[in-house]
Amino acid sequence: MEKADIPVVKRSLYSWVFADNLKLQLLLLLIIVGMVFARVLPLEMQKRIVNQAINLRNLQLLLTYCGVYLVAVVFNSALKYLTNVIQTLITQRATASMRKALYHHILTLPLGFFRKTQPGSVVNSLVAELPMPGNFVGMAISAPVTNVLTLLAFAGYLFTLNPLLAAVSLSIYPIVVFLVPVLQKGVNRANKKRVDAARKLSSRIAESITGIHEVHGNGAYRIENQKYDRLVKRLEKIRVVWSLYRFGVKTANSFFVSLGPFIVFILGGYLTIKGQLELGALVAFLSAQEKLYDPWKELIEFYQVYQDGSVTYKRTMEFFDVKPEHAIEPEDREPFDLEASIDVKDMSFVTDSGIRLLDGINLSLTPGEHLALVGFSGSGKSTLALCIGQLYKYTDGHVLIGGKEVSHLTKKDMVNNMGFVAQSPFIFEGSIEDNLLYSCLAKANGNGQSGKNLPTLDDIIAVLHQAGIFVDILRFGLNTVLVHDQNQELVKTLIRVRENFQRDFGEELADYVEFFDENQYLYHSSVSENLIFGTANKKEFDDANLCNNAYFVNFLKQADLNRPLLSLGNELARQTVDILGNLPPDAVFFEQSPIGPHELGEFKILVERSKRKKLHELSDGDRQKLLELAMRFVPGVHKMVALPAILEDLILEGRALFHDKISEDDPNAVTFYQVSEYIYSQTILNNIFFGKTKSANPQAQEAINQSIIQLLIAEDLLETIIEIGMHFQVGTKGDRLSGGQQQKLAIARILLKHPRILIMDEATSALDNKSQTRIQNLLETRWKKKSTVISVVHRLDTIKNYDQVAVMKAGKILEIGSYNELIARKGTLYELVGKK
Amino acid sequence: MNSSGKNESNPSSELEQNLEILRQTYFFSVLPLETLKIFAYLCSREKFKPGEYLFRQNEDDGQAFYIISGKATLEREDNSSVKEIRECHSGEFLGGLTLLGEARRLFSLKAVEDTICLVLVREKFSKASEQFPDIMPRIFKAVAKNIDTWEERFLADRADLCGQCMANLGVSLI
Repeated sequence: MEKADIPVVKRSLYSWVFADNLKLQLLLLLIIVGMVFARVLPLEMQKRIVNQAINLRNLQLLLTYCGVYLVAVVFNSALKYLTNVIQTLITQRATASMRKALYHHILTLPLGFFRKTQPGSVVNSLVAELPMPGNFVGMAISAPVTNVLTLLAFAGYLFTLNPLLAAVSLSIYPIVVFLVPVLQKGVNRANKKRVDAARKLSSRIAESITGIHEVHGNGAYRIENQKYDRLVKRLEKIRVVWSLYRFGVKTANSFFVSLGPFIVFILGGYLTIKGQLELGALVAFLSAQEKLYDPWKELIEFYQVYQDGSVTYKRTMEFFDVKPEHAIEPEDREPFDLEASIDVKDMSFVTDSGIRLLDGINLSLTPGEHLALVGFSGSGKSTLALCIGQLYKYTDGHVLIGGKEVSHLTKKDMVNNMGFVAQSPFIFEGSIEDNLLYSCLAKANGNGQSGKNLPTLDDIIAVLHQAGIFVDILRFGLNTVLVHDQNQELVKTLIRVRENFQRDFGEELADYVEFFDENQYLYHSSVSENLIFGTANKKEFDDANLCNNAYFVNFLKQADLNRPLLSLGNELARQTVDILGNLPPDAVFFEQSPIGPHELGEFKILVERSKRKKLHELSDGDRQKLLELAMRFVPGVHKMVALPAILEDLILEGRALFHDKISEDDPNAVTFYQVSEYIYSQTILNNIFFGKTKSANPQAQEAINQSIIQLLIAEDLLETIIEIGMHFQVGTKGDRLSGGQQQKLAIARILLKHPRILIMDEATSALDNKSQTRIQNLLETRWKKKSTVISVVHRLDTIKNYDQVAVMKAGKILEIGSYNELIARKGTLYELVGKK
Repeated sequence: MNSSGKNESNPSSELEQNLEILRQTYFFSVLPLETLKIFAYLCSREKFKPGEYLFRQNEDDGQAFYIISGKATLEREDNSSVKEIRECHSGEFLGGLTLLGEARRLFSLKAVEDTICLVLVREKFSKASEQFPDIMPRIFKAVAKNIDTWEERFLADRADLCGQCMANLGVSLI
């Protein structure tokens, strides 16, 4: 949208050359002229040095000409560097502009486009392909102008020295121009054959490997070998021809280029002997002749860049040459404040391939009325909701919101008046807060009031309750580790909460919590936590540095722990890599893994190495990695390895030894877990427990939540913890949230926007009963008569209180009316409900 | 729950034990060992006290259970009267279908003793199965076959006790 008049996909590649770079390109031209001059000047100086300075034995002249020569060379190099700088600037600027403009365009394309397009190909276009045309834009002026000018200047200079010699030596180039493309065609032909043959060979290999059990079973080694060998032989022949052509091109090129000096020597030498050419001129000729090759080569390279760039550009832009279905924002008016009535008249939706998904839909809602859409999957209820919400463009009939035709409204009109909760809502990387404010911010940004009119914390908390995600966010807050020495007040209060917890709930929840007990092994804590049983006050005792800390490593040896832990680390690495080695870095897979997704590659290599060696043969670095891994081992979480009883006893003894040792050697290094002290290395929840939870089962969670909420309310801490929880990072695509949490978050972000029209497309399908009921009640009590609601419903027990129910089948509304009317009519709804 | 305690004599990990269990279920036994290992890894163990529910009627909890030890009763509530359907014992696998699609429970399952279960949730199951697209056809075949076997056995053993319900037989025809 940078150039509002011409969409980016219609712009020609050349339009980028001067687009934002006019001044830079002009500057570049100036520099190039200077540079060409600085290239020819040394030739003239060479001539004069030989002819005048050396010939006349004039030292003064020699120094002057050498001085000029030097200045010209320095000047040329400096200008060449400057051209590169400017060229880089133009290239990168053009690539960035193309990337931005194309991305902005792509986001506005209709949803239908993305059903047919893989995300990967969009990524590839934007990331891998656009740099090629960008490269061309950067070189578009500088490369041809520099090289053509240089060629012309050299040739011109040669003609001034001796026209005959110039003409003869330049005559080589037309031969090269003719011959090289002929050979190149041969290369291309052979290359095509090579690719085909290689592909056949690959599929042959893939087939025999896939069917290896059959090969073994039949002992068919010879048959398979014959098939394979035949293809290898063929590929071998093709590759020989291909290589010969390639070397042919190279040889021809260098032969003719080397032929140049030969002609200059034989003809130039003859002319010099005959006194028709000065010796200096001959020297200059030789130099110029050699230098002709570079601009020549660069021109050919530039041609290649042009070819790649223009083909890629054309392909990319044609691929995305689709028109957005709706304007993004109104051009000559303010966005509408629409009345929340909805009228659908004879509306149909036919796909590109001619399938009629909706057929002659009629319905009418007054502001504040609620409509439930029901029917089997595939009946068109979601499609209808999407058409009303302007996410699909209906092909016939009318959809009117507040009397205005939806297909004529801009996106901004819709966004300002409507909220849409999708069936599988999308959560973006960032914090809970970022995602909660997503819709509000988008609306505010669109209206040019970013940051203003955003909901207050009270608004947010109210909505969190309504959407039923309050407890989840509280949990995120409770699972946060506070920063050392900040939040002093909070820490004091939390110690109080801990005391109250132990007094009020200690016994009741003892089954669900593993308390920090000095004499027990903690199955839900790591080996390092079990050993140190405290919080490090010095960096070298932090988890990350522990295995680097000579004191600690020495202690491990003293406690006879080094070797068993190394072996544990090795086993952990082997098992984890075995299970997770080929899985994507999704949080779900790594929840129970001691190895993080970003370290997996490193550990894969380490495991390969450790398979071939004994532990003591591994390098110090590898052993340290394994020891670090062992330190993270939490038996209650990392189930791929069992904690041997003997190691457990050793670690417990090690804890006591470490306590004594460090108390004596460095008493301030560690603060041991004490009921009276806040533990900064642990989460807020673990601090309240003075222990860790053992169970993820819903009953346990519920019991814990109840007790904690009660305690937090007593200390007026609920809001503080919620605020902390709102900073929880949800991970890529929200993968650190459960499906239910994602859906609740999506509902909350729309509720926060208070839209006049709310469209919910099976928006509560991933929620538990309680949450579904809560949201249903909310709609019935708080939204009735205030906002118009269209809800695609997947559970028929929630529809009784809707003003209208529309039953759909095969893209048509079979019946529409109030619940009671339809039941009394004993039609399809009656059947549907009866069947349940 | 806290199941990973000391392993006095048998040093096999919980993962290995889970793997053994999954290999005994009709649902997972059809999968190659490498894939099965990942499902075994994604399972968790939960302990239920007497009176606690493993799942409740009308809720879509999206979990499959294998009862490792203990006992639970299957109940169904109709018109606010609760009927006990049967007892579920250790070694029983429930909820293969819940892994495949969203459906609300038609029954509740309540622990009557301390019960330890191996639990796999649908979300983890789906994410993992996305990585191995060729396993789903195998699982579908296993499920279809299991439904068929179930009804075949029912018809052979119990059909004559069915009475009026006879007309509603034929779940294998869906």
